[in-house]
Amino acid sequence: MSDGGDDRTESGRERGSAGVAVERERRRVDPSEYTTDRRSLSPRVQINWAVRTTVTAVVVGLIATFALRAFDLDPRIGGVLTAVLVLLGFVWVVLHYRIWVYQIQDDAIYLERGVLTHVRTLVPYVRIQHVDTSRGPVERTLGLSTLVVYTAGSRGADVSIPGLTPEEASDLQQRVKQLAIEAEGDDAL
Amino acid sequence: MNLDPRSVPYRIFDNGFRIVAATVFWGFASSGDGMDVRSLLLFFVAVLGIAIGWQIAYVRRYEYRVTADTFDIRSGVISRREREIPFERIQNVDIAQNVVQRALGIAEVRLETAGGNATEATLRYVSRREASRLQELISDRKRSDASPEGSREETGDVLFELDQRELGILGVTSANFRLLGLILVGLSFVGSPVAAREISPRVGLFLLLGPAFAAVGLVILWIASGVQAVFRYYGFRLTRHGEELRYERGLLQQYTGTIPLSKIQTLMIRENVLARAAGYGSLVIETAGYSPGQGGSDVESAVPIAERDRVLELARSIENVGDIPFARPPRRARVRYVARYTIVVGVITAILGAIHLWTDELPYWYLGSGLWLLVPIAAHLKWAHLGYYVDEDYVVTRSGFWTRRTTVVPIYRVQTVLDSQTVFQRRRDLGTLVVDTATSGGFWGGDAVALDVDVETARTLRERIHDRFQEAVRERQDRLFRERERESEHGRESPVNG
Repeated sequence: MSDGGDDRTESGRERGSAGVAVERERRRVDPSEYTTDRRSLSPRVQINWAVRTTVTAVVVGLIATFALRAFDLDPRIGGVLTAVLVLLGFVWVVLHYRIWVYQIQDDAIYLERGVLTHVRTLVPYVRIQHVDTSRGPVERTLGLSTLVVYTAGSRGADVSIPGLTPEEASDLQQRVKQLAIEAEGDDAL
Repeated sequence: MNLDPRSVPYRIFDNGFRIVAATVFWGFASSGDGMDVRSLLLFFVAVLGIAIGWQIAYVRRYEYRVTADTFDIRSGVISRREREIPFERIQNVDIAQNVVQRALGIAEVRLETAGGNATEATLRYVSRREASRLQELISDRKRSDASPEGSREETGDVLFELDQRELGILGVTSANFRLLGLILVGLSFVGSPVAAREISPRVGLFLLLGPAFAAVGLVILWIASGVQAVFRYYGFRLTRHGEELRYERGLLQQYTGTIPLSKIQTLMIRENVLARAAGYGSLVIETAGYSPGQGGSDVESAVPIAERDRVLELARSIENVGDIPFARPPRRARVRYVARYTIVVGVITAILGAIHLWTDELPYWYLGSGLWLLVPIAAHLKWAHLGYYVDEDYVVTRSGFWTRRTTVVPIYRVQTVLDSQTVFQRRRDLGTLVVDTATSGGFWGGDAVALDVDVETARTLRERIHDRFQEAVRERQDRLFRERERESEHGRESPVNG
């Protein structure tokens, strides 16, 4: 499209030397130093999720109880509903934990997650805009941290890895940062 | 430079309703001890005075300046704000003019960058000539950054011009059928028996009243959306100025916008049922974080309507995607839609039954299940319009019956690639492939989505697109690097991001 002059007319020698330079520039750091194998999250993240699902279940249960009372039905059904929801929440938490996998590959971050909808994502380093670590109040008491990776994509904020120890999180942040610098894409926006 | 002085009266006029509202409010607030016309008038004059003073101050304190490589704005009456926007980051320069503004000869200029959804800067208002000058100037500056040779074409090649016939077709085909269909179903089901009894309990003929209402509603909505489309796209023209597309349109609200070719993320071809039947379609061009002329959730077309071949040809002149032999999802996907729509029909019938139980209306509620006859057709149509195609340079996906959307994503514009599987898809070994791009997203988004493909295919495609993307990035980097080297040999400045 807009990419100006194509250099097919260049002499072979010139192209060769440029190619070598490009190659040298690209291989400053070996990406394999930064990659990881497939890792799962810290088990403590289950407590974090369980807190969340339980709170949601209780809120839904309370609303249901009031609704039942308004319709002159036995409000105890609301209690049963809450208990069922809490249990379902626990099942979801365990499954969610078992499914979650992340891997720092040599050219992309790979994520696998989701109980009801199973999603596998590849985030190329070239596309990474910036990398954050964040810690919510519950995460802080549990000693956990979340790594959030931003891309310019419309689903940019979707890419986050929860349930990391703070050390893991900052280690991952360093790795991803290095790899992203290494990839040095033009932003192509 | 300053804003045009004529924008003061317009801005006051624009805020007029607020002044009136404040007066009315004050009038009500003080009405306890009797309405005093004189004090009300005094209040009105005071508020008007403040408004005039404020607007004059705003316009006088608003300064903009064009420097060598930035566009600077200093604004604010009480708290000052200074903003510098690098030319190379400006994606679109839009000019909008409504009827009043046209009478005054002023225009609004909007500068858009890739960051966020908000407009980076809005000049309210400058003279029409100044607006065009800024548009020209900014695209000039951008061009001189991108290619030093800078081919200066003042007029630009006309790529597309909407003629009267096409405008007519646009009016006829620009109905929102999803909405219309919903209204039709709703009115004819719920409306008819109730309305029939309200008017005459004996005459069975009135049972047809509901569908009749629906038909009338349908026609009115159709005409309204048609008229709106005609007003909106009247006099549409798409031209190419160097590395930029420029379009103008509008009967009452006139609009001029630019689309930088180098910033295009995806192309989308949209054809709704009617347009498709007539062999027409529209082309939408999405740039990063912003699609041109986007006001709210509306996506504006780069080509509002043209014959399908013409649309494809235009799309190919922008992104050279060759023939697109679409692959369809496996047949078991169609079975899935039959199951899904059966559930929908079941739910509708159940709701009708429940209404019958509670209100005694709708004695023939079980006829709702007759809708099931449509299910196989609907499932087939949905399936038949799905498709995907992946080659070395492009990912193309297609979906939708009411409005078929074909999305073309150049591989080097890919942001992330993902495949997903819902519980229901897992039962049939199906999966969805999503190719995310840096478009504004939104409800229809610019993402290429291949729905319900075989799960193994989805996975291999994800890997393939990712690998191909990495290759494309490397090729691009090599080329940029070589270009830079060549530039430095010639002792020139390095080019910025072609």
